Amino acid sequence: MTLETTTRPDHPLAGLRDFAIRWMVRFFRRDWSGALLALVVLAIAIELVTTGRSFFHPSNLMTIMNSSAAIGVIAAGMTLVILTGGIDLSVGSVMGMSAALTGYIVAFWGVPPEVAVLACLAIGAAVGTFNGILIAYWGMPAFIVTLAGLSIWRGAGHLSTGAQATPRLPDLFDWFGRANPLSGIRARFQEGTLPDFLMPLGETIDSLWMEYLRTFQMSTILFVLYFVAMIALVAHTRFGLYVYAVGSNEAGARQAGINPRFYKLLTYVICSMSAALGALMFLGRAPYARSDYGMMWELDAIAAVVIGGTSLFGVRGTLIGTFMGVILLKLIGNGLTLAQLDTFWQMVVLGLIILIAVGIDIVRQSGHAESVRRLLASVAAVMAFFTFLTPGSAVMGAWVRLHENNVVVALRAAGERLSGGHQNRQLSPEQVATAEAAIAANLWPALVFLGLTVLSLLLIRRAGAVWSLGLAALYAVMVVPLITMGYATATPLLILGAVVLVGAAITPAVFQRAHELGLDESPATEDVRRDSATEKGTA
Amino acid sequence: MKLRTRLSALLAGAAMSMATAGMADDLTIGYITKSATNVGWMMINQGASDAAEAEGVNLVTVGPAFADDLTSQIEVFENLIAQGVDAIAVAPADSSGIAPVVEDAMEAGIPVIAVDTGVSGAEVVSFVATDNLAVAKVQGAVAATLVEDGAPVIYVTGDPAQSTGQDRRDGFMEAFASHRPNSEILVVPTAWDASEAQEGVETLLNARSDVAMIVHAWDGATMASKAAMENLGLSAGDIKLVGFDGASDAIEAMEDGWVHANTAQMLYGMGFDGITIAARAARGEDVPARVDTGFFLVTPMTMDSYKALIGLE
Repeated sequence: MTLETTTRPDHPLAGLRDFAIRWMVRFFRRDWSGALLALVVLAIAIELVTTGRSFFHPSNLMTIMNSSAAIGVIAAGMTLVILTGGIDLSVGSVMGMSAALTGYIVAFWGVPPEVAVLACLAIGAAVGTFNGILIAYWGMPAFIVTLAGLSIWRGAGHLSTGAQATPRLPDLFDWFGRANPLSGIRARFQEGTLPDFLMPLGETIDSLWMEYLRTFQMSTILFVLYFVAMIALVAHTRFGLYVYAVGSNEAGARQAGINPRFYKLLTYVICSMSAALGALMFLGRAPYARSDYGMMWELDAIAAVVIGGTSLFGVRGTLIGTFMGVILLKLIGNGLTLAQLDTFWQMVVLGLIILIAVGIDIVRQSGHAESVRRLLASVAAVMAFFTFLTPGSAVMGAWVRLHENNVVVALRAAGERLSGGHQNRQLSPEQVATAEAAIAANLWPALVFLGLTVLSLLLIRRAGAVWSLGLAALYAVMVVPLITMGYATATPLLILGAVVLVGAAITPAVFQRAHELGLDESPATEDVRRDSATEKGTA
Repeated sequence: MKLRTRLSALLAGAAMSMATAGMADDLTIGYITKSATNVGWMMINQGASDAAEAEGVNLVTVGPAFADDLTSQIEVFENLIAQGVDAIAVAPADSSGIAPVVEDAMEAGIPVIAVDTGVSGAEVVSFVATDNLAVAKVQGAVAATLVEDGAPVIYVTGDPAQSTGQDRRDGFMEAFASHRPNSEILVVPTAWDASEAQEGVETLLNARSDVAMIVHAWDGATMASKAAMENLGLSAGDIKLVGFDGASDAIEAMEDGWVHANTAQMLYGMGFDGITIAARAARGEDVPARVDTGFFLVTPMTMDSYKALIGLE
């Protein structure tokens, strides 16, 4: 798979190869490809590290959808605002206030639940109009207006409800969340009151219930329907067109006869109403209504939008990307819970995954063969580093414990007064022996994999295909010592690293071929040409 | 004096100068809470304001802008020192983060009393709280009697970066594991956030059909687990719930058969004792360095006397 193959069009697999390249170029041209790629890789990784019921079990996937639903509809509204170049930091507070007030008037004022639902959406519309007028008509910065809103609406929610929880809400609210549309049929099947022609259906539902269908809930359905509706709105109406137009060039849009202020206002109204709908959907799953719901949700919503490939400066982005961004965020939480990873590690891993997803997106946009190769080489280096971490953390942990012990012993010898924290760090003779044994057992494997990491880091700067392939082979070979040294769980990391390195080796050739096929009409064409030239020079 | 929470130290300062103008010789005690919206904290705050009335001191209650916000607590604390209050009772959002301002206050001659959560890295005149580690051990031992050895259970943590969260987790783990050594303990980590708790519990219950019991570090999570069970179509008693705090909604859930045991902190008493001690310290009296406010083990058997104690119908 070197440059020679690309210059021979009559190669037997050329057709297949060109098809694959065309498909890849089409895929990576989508704004949401980074999110989808991260989603798939992460899902496979979670499946590999967890035991018990498969991660891909439909009922687990639906659980992820259910918990994504409320934040998802809010992120959908946020996407529109961000596409126009704005931002809405108040969504979490608006969500909390509308949830609390809706529950409050139902529980303590005796308002019929149907009316309360309408009131909830009306609150969203009112807040959105307020934000929109200040931002679009008065020209106040969106960041400031909604930052103030973040505080105002949270405070208003606490004040108006006394920050008290309500009793459990009426069943109507379940239809925004936990209600299962099939539960009625199942109940009637169990009672035996189902009409005869529906009995087989009832029986099927009942037999699949515990295993598959019980997590099929209104949350998931509303979540998907809302995105379908919003995507249709953006793709097939003038409104959608104008949103992108206002985001890319407000003055130009005005000259083209669009009223940018009105459409901006409209996006804030939709955003706040989405927050109110999110509140209803959250109430449908929550134990009661409270004014502290939705704390920090504005950050989650913005993160989901950005992970989905939407630019924070407007213009570029899609709702389908946001959909994937939301699921990616919740999938990380779900996977980390299933994997029972230590809490503090969860925080670190969550941040790293967000960085990787956005990194993929940035490299993708650059359309630059060398950036892609570097990204792949970096991923391989990270994999080698993760492999190093298993023995490495054992060595470092033991070394730190011994060092801290020595410090405490020295302090004690010097007659210092020791705090509780100090005393905890003094080791018993057995603990010292264990730590020394841990260092002895893990030192060599740690050094070997540290060497592999350093080698991969060197490759990031510059390397030909041969070097990449050689290192890929080394990764594959290292699997054997890895298993014999008792770190079999890290094998998938090394294998993934090897695959990624093969990818790095063929990247320039793939870009070259894509260029020959005329698939790159982007401004990146120049760079691809220059890169393949330097590539030939070094090879 | 009715309990009120003010969002900013500025308001607190203004209110205090008004209050002191009227009652020149009276003592003023600053009381910094962790949250004004959590049900448990509302009970503590109520106890605090009743104690202030009983002791005849002015109480300036200030809460952070949102729960467990250390930065705004420090700001409020500095303002209270600047105003020259006679004593400060504080429920630190972060045990070590609050230490520098506590030291400042003590050096300025203002006695500081820690309520509910301890201060690490600085001396206080008194620490008034439940002994979380001891109570969590009771919780673990009682929880162990509810399941057979080998049955997997879920534990929902509080903030593991904070001493209250750590003590409750460690106490439970130690006691439960010693009584039921073969039971797997699955952990749902949260930072006292009920929606995180609900999501995590739902995920685990969906992946594992063999979970016998869910134990919680606070009752917000107990209610979240109840909702998670309802979302999955489970009924009361299918999986046993064990709470911590004795919040009124969790006690109602016990009546309905969801919750099987709850270690209640004497929340009202904690607030009451905290301000009583603060008032005594402000007058220059000697106060005990550690006040254990005790706990109440609520089970379906003892539920009625607990309800009478906290005035629940």
